[in-house]
Amino acid sequence: MNGTLGREAMSWAVALAWIAAVLFILMALVGAPFGDALSAFLQNAFGGRRFSYLMATLSRAALIAGMAVSVMLSFRAGLFNIGGEGQLVAGGLVAALAALLLPGPPLFVLTASILAAMLAGAGWALLAGALHLYVGVPLLVGSLLLNYPIRYIASYLVAHPFRDVQSGMVQSHLVPQATWLPYFPGTRLDIGILFIIAASLFAIVYSRATVHGYHARMNGLSPAFARTVGLPVRKLTLQTLAMSGAIAGLVGAIAVFGIHHRYIDGMLVQPLYAWTGIIAVLLVGMIPWAVPLSGLFFAAIQTGAAGMERSAGVPKEIALVMQAVIILFVASRVSGALVASSERKAGAAEDA
Amino acid sequence: MRASLSGITVRFGALTAVDNVSLDIEPGEIHAIVGENGAGKTTLMNVLFGLVQPEAGAISLDGKAMRWASPQDAIRHGLGMVHQHFMLQESMTVLENIVLCAEPVTRFGFIDFAAARRRLAEVAEEHRISIALDRPVGRLSVGERQVVEVLKMLYREAEVLILDEPTSVLTPLEKDRLFATLRSFRSAGKAIVLITHKLDEVMELADRVSVMRGGRLVRSGRLSETSKEEIARGIIGGELPPARQRTARTPGEEVLSVCDLQVSGRGGAIGPLSLSVRAGEIVGIAGVSGNGQAELIQAVTGLMPLLSGEIMLCGRPIGHLDVEDRRRIGMSYIPEDRQRMGLALGATVSENANAGRDDRAAYTRGPFLNRAAMARFARQLIERYRIRVGGTSAFASTMSGGNKQKLVVGRELARDTPLVIAENPTWGVDIGAIDFIHGELMRKRDEGHAVLLVSTELDEVLALSDRILVMYSGALAGEVAGAEADRERIGSMMTSRAADALPEVA
Repeated sequence: MNGTLGREAMSWAVALAWIAAVLFILMALVGAPFGDALSAFLQNAFGGRRFSYLMATLSRAALIAGMAVSVMLSFRAGLFNIGGEGQLVAGGLVAALAALLLPGPPLFVLTASILAAMLAGAGWALLAGALHLYVGVPLLVGSLLLNYPIRYIASYLVAHPFRDVQSGMVQSHLVPQATWLPYFPGTRLDIGILFIIAASLFAIVYSRATVHGYHARMNGLSPAFARTVGLPVRKLTLQTLAMSGAIAGLVGAIAVFGIHHRYIDGMLVQPLYAWTGIIAVLLVGMIPWAVPLSGLFFAAIQTGAAGMERSAGVPKEIALVMQAVIILFVASRVSGALVASSERKAGAAEDA
Repeated sequence: MRASLSGITVRFGALTAVDNVSLDIEPGEIHAIVGENGAGKTTLMNVLFGLVQPEAGAISLDGKAMRWASPQDAIRHGLGMVHQHFMLQESMTVLENIVLCAEPVTRFGFIDFAAARRRLAEVAEEHRISIALDRPVGRLSVGERQVVEVLKMLYREAEVLILDEPTSVLTPLEKDRLFATLRSFRSAGKAIVLITHKLDEVMELADRVSVMRGGRLVRSGRLSETSKEEIARGIIGGELPPARQRTARTPGEEVLSVCDLQVSGRGGAIGPLSLSVRAGEIVGIAGVSGNGQAELIQAVTGLMPLLSGEIMLCGRPIGHLDVEDRRRIGMSYIPEDRQRMGLALGATVSENANAGRDDRAAYTRGPFLNRAAMARFARQLIERYRIRVGGTSAFASTMSGGNKQKLVVGRELARDTPLVIAENPTWGVDIGAIDFIHGELMRKRDEGHAVLLVSTELDEVLALSDRILVMYSGALAGEVAGAEADRERIGSMMTSRAADALPEVA
């Protein structure tokens, strides 16, 4: 066992050395000082005055991790729901509109809006599920295509009926200030991350310990097996998609009440939260407890790279290339380890 | 070419699959390796073929030490292996499958299919094999697919040929053809390894036989110096079980009745079929694979919709119900395909054992799983059915074929339902496990359960059934009472036009 651990540590060291080498070459090419860039990277990912950059990283990590958790629930059940973006937009849009339209005390409005956002995300995911089960549109295709109508419905609504015309931007009015999620005392980090932590904990417990999670995973491992032993496959499919969509909707609501305080056209699409979430899940092979950590990793890479541009004069494009290099090496390292372990299993399976 | 293995040891976690085995494979000989499932036969050959890296031991070819980085390495040095589960691309043609990874290339970098055809024609001529090269593999019968696998090895000029359980999917006719081909290889000086657990085949074909048990090589020598009884004792490590006695029993009331059932099959509609199974009897359905048995079973279990007709289980119509409801009313099902339908290979033994259980309260607490109770149940199955596995939290994929099957059988029979459907329940399973599974099915019958047995092994149907139905071309060709069953008559019913079922394999 010690030997494997040693080999594992060794291969990580090799991967890190490669990352450093490639980054060094890239920086030499653009003539940026290596030390400055590195410290700018670390500073902007984790530092800042009173850790303000760390807070930015965390709040970004929360959204990515939330989307990753949403995707994980579907993927583990063998449901290739790649419509997280649409479900996220549906949630964000409904959250903003509900907060603008609903009367009543702020806490009620906030709660109702978040629930409405979760319902909207779940509904959008269920639409893909229904197309899959009853019309025969494969989930992979249906869920992806449903990203587009909701994105443009949202664009239309904030560009026309609900536009904050005075602001001159394509965005809705601000939601009532009393419904904004408060910051942690003394920081610029909103408490939205608590919702994501709760959702992550829910997902971990659900995946490991509940009957529904067990059945869903059996379906993910072998749909033919799940059908043969009489698991309620249709019901599992719809319920899992609804859960997955509801978490995406929740992430949308947190982006509205915690960060932007309104729906701005493209605010949930441009930063690629949903897609980064998918990569974050695939990186760790859908192991529930590792998914939030993976989300944090991606957020740190992104904010750090953005910071390098600001403070070390590394051009943005090069920063993006560096980001890709880091992800590539880490991903190959992680999935390499996963492939090796599944090959061991397959080798054992040949024994007859 | 002479292949030698010396001191090979392979471990999978806590399990020692192969334990210090040394073996020589001589050219111009057919070398049978026999043993129960999990004895390590396939693992040993996977080592020779470069699929599994041994922990200790060495491989040599003609006295030269070899180390494989991958199976491709082994193929380049003249080894070929036909796996129990074929490795073919269904959407590609026979020719494309054969040349895959060893394509002859023209000067301009295109694949030279004409050259490949010429070479294959020579090879096929030499060993009297014929097959249509342009048909997609997906449309071939299992027997024809095996011919493709064999041709693939010949095309790569393999000198050492390893065949893993080659006859478990073949009809008697196809088997005879395969054996003729293998004899032709032998006279061409190739070394042939035949992994099997059918002793009759060993006696018929082999020159040399090695017996493995529990990962060890227990004996190895020329076939002429041993006897069938001696080999059998070596395999099971003791005496053979006595032949099964059937207790006379009058069947009770009807448990399953199928009336004018029609379902869609690959080559047109199947049916109309009518049959009934009563409590305390085993009804066997004999027939060559692909004559509508699979569709019949899928319709009864609820995996496939009916076109027309009705199915009654315990007096209730179930034709419109889903799998879950049918199972709850009183059906258990041992599917033929344990790799895909019987088990989730990526899940643990415990998770597989508990899937589809009816007594939900026994392994759950509210919405949560009671892992301890699940493991306890799995351990009961492991003990009762003598399943050889690392433990309840080992992955199902780490079990050998026979042990996988025992787990499926155990899980389904533990549900104690009025109706048991068993579909080729001993496919690719060793003697000990076959005997055990047959005993369990018989016990179910004696306890008053209705058993519907579908099997392509005529011997199995004859040994177990009270009544035998024969399926041919999507319809029931006849019914025979088990006591007066006559091999010849059933054989002629199931192959009345069997030549049509096996086109183009000569």
